[in-house]
Amino acid sequence: MSFSSLQEKDFSGRQDELAGLLKRVLQADTGLAQSIVLSGPRGIGKTELLKHLFSQLFWKQSRMAPFFYSVSPALLSASAFSRTYLTQFICQRLSFQKKEQALLYRDGITVEDLSTLAEEHEAIWARDLLDQYARGSADPVDGLRIALNAPHRSALSTGIPVAVLIDDFHWLAGLHRDGFPEQRLIALFEEPVSQRKTPHVIAGSMAELQEISVVSGLERIAVQPLGQEATSSRILSLLQEHGSEGSSVPPLLLRHLGGNPFYLDRVVTRACVKHNPDEKDFWSAYIREIMNGTLSLFWSSVLKGYLPDLSRRRTALALLYKIYHSSDAFSCERIAKSFSLTDSQASAVAKALYLAGFLRGEFGFFKATDDRVLLDIIDHLYMREMLAKSAHDMEQDFLERLLPQKEQVVRFDMTLPMTKEAELIAAQCLDQIGKNFHLNQDAIGQLQIAVIEACINAMEHGQGIGKKVYVGIIVDEGRIEVSVESAGQEFIVQETGEPVHDQNTGNGPKRGWGLKLIKRFTDEVTFEKTALGTKVVLVKKIEKSAGVPKEDVANRE
Amino acid sequence: MSNFSLSSKSEQDIAIMEPKGYINDIGAETLELASEQFLGNGIKKLIVNFSGVQFINTIGLSIFLSMVQKTLEYHSLLCFTNMKKDHREIFEMAGLMKYVKVFKDENDAFSYLNRRS
Repeated sequence: MSFSSLQEKDFSGRQDELAGLLKRVLQADTGLAQSIVLSGPRGIGKTELLKHLFSQLFWKQSRMAPFFYSVSPALLSASAFSRTYLTQFICQRLSFQKKEQALLYRDGITVEDLSTLAEEHEAIWARDLLDQYARGSADPVDGLRIALNAPHRSALSTGIPVAVLIDDFHWLAGLHRDGFPEQRLIALFEEPVSQRKTPHVIAGSMAELQEISVVSGLERIAVQPLGQEATSSRILSLLQEHGSEGSSVPPLLLRHLGGNPFYLDRVVTRACVKHNPDEKDFWSAYIREIMNGTLSLFWSSVLKGYLPDLSRRRTALALLYKIYHSSDAFSCERIAKSFSLTDSQASAVAKALYLAGFLRGEFGFFKATDDRVLLDIIDHLYMREMLAKSAHDMEQDFLERLLPQKEQVVRFDMTLPMTKEAELIAAQCLDQIGKNFHLNQDAIGQLQIAVIEACINAMEHGQGIGKKVYVGIIVDEGRIEVSVESAGQEFIVQETGEPVHDQNTGNGPKRGWGLKLIKRFTDEVTFEKTALGTKVVLVKKIEKSAGVPKEDVANRE
Repeated sequence: MSNFSLSSKSEQDIAIMEPKGYINDIGAETLELASEQFLGNGIKKLIVNFSGVQFINTIGLSIFLSMVQKTLEYHSLLCFTNMKKDHREIFEMAGLMKYVKVFKDENDAFSYLNRRS
């Protein structure tokens, strides 16, 4: 892992989570920090968050040392694990001491060489630890105990607490001596995890972590899918990286990707093979990703990892296809009956799929996840493995399935000059759109008021910078999304995500009303930084008109 | 060219103002000026008929606020009529509704004001 290459600018959309985690672990010097588990589906960005947390702790402060360890399923014997854990910890700790980046990458260093290095760094605590390990490691359990407690020992000796960041922790359920996994080995984590000077931040497959007692009692922090603003920020960053700032990802595809940063990164990166990809290029990139790209490969290997036997995997695929095309929850009995399996076979397959993250499970019932990308990948695998469909047929199938949805979305774009009452043009357009699509007039009326305010805001903040306001109206099933973008810069308060009142214009209270009005008359409001400047996105859920008259006259007195 | 126009008249001791179109800064200032003239001429009962109002923005709203303040200073009565639900919500949000009387139409407002000395 190249920690030095982790740039904050490459970590768009997770700054709040990162700042929150940083604040939590830095409480260790006050004795208040507690170990936590990061939860969330695969690809949501837990590993990335841990790596950036390490980078921040390593480079941006000196009162707490970070230690990052990614558990490898190939190193699960107690003695191999304890040796790599201990040597990597000491390397990273010495590296932190003098901010020597080279030491971070000394994988495979021997205990003897590390002892010499510790001496050169005058780190007596490290040399003592290595001596103790050399003496005690004849017994794998003692060696493991020494390694796991090493961060705490160093904290006591140096006075500098250690944030222990462990990724893929679930593999440790397989820690073994002589090839036989033993529960008591992973239980040795209980002591270091409970130490206030060594808060552990643990990530891994949530379904599997839940079954590990050391972890099950820890506070769980859910890593959520990226929100609209974070998604936009991340996409902008990716497009800039590929020199394709002129492109924009189709809104329907964005919703399909569900705010999963791994999915977003892959699709945008693939689409950007072409300079400034258009809407069709993004959809094609998505279809290629789910058919033969990294996304497809990722989920196929997870499936293979949990179900190595081919015939069992085919059964699992058929089961997934059935569950993902049903709204029902499936019991093991139903699975057994549907696929001619014994109860124990059905239970084993369902459990493997649950642990792998393909299914949700509650009270003995299994359901599909909400992941639409995973549904497409399952469909593709099913068509390929079970129905032996050709790649061309499968591609056509996806195009037919995905693109008709796209056609239901209608988009209108307009450019407004910054002239007096230009906001009325946008409002009148909305009125006509409402009539054309037979939308509820009351709701359109409210959205018009909100859009007028958003346009006035954009004109005020864009004055002197740009001369135009860009308005995009997307009519989708049951909702209208209006984006208003101008060259105004940086008027968003980081903490609240809301615009700062412009002190220079002297319009503080008025603009405060404007935002209040926008919020009152819409269902969602988000503010985004864009390549141009700032964009406010208003969403109004609108049903088809039921002939409700617009006149609604007040009757008071 | 503004999307706003105002027609006004007075009957007995009651002034009626009928704004039309978009009440932004220009519209609201015109309305404020008209109400000041009525108040200056000793007419202390004012009706604003909103039936022709299409939109009100918050800049216009803030000028409305000073118009309401003026009517309070003159101890006069301000009535709004023919308001759409959205317009009423805008005024409620700004906290102006407690200073005005709202009626379904001009006739109701007239009857109410005629009963007041």
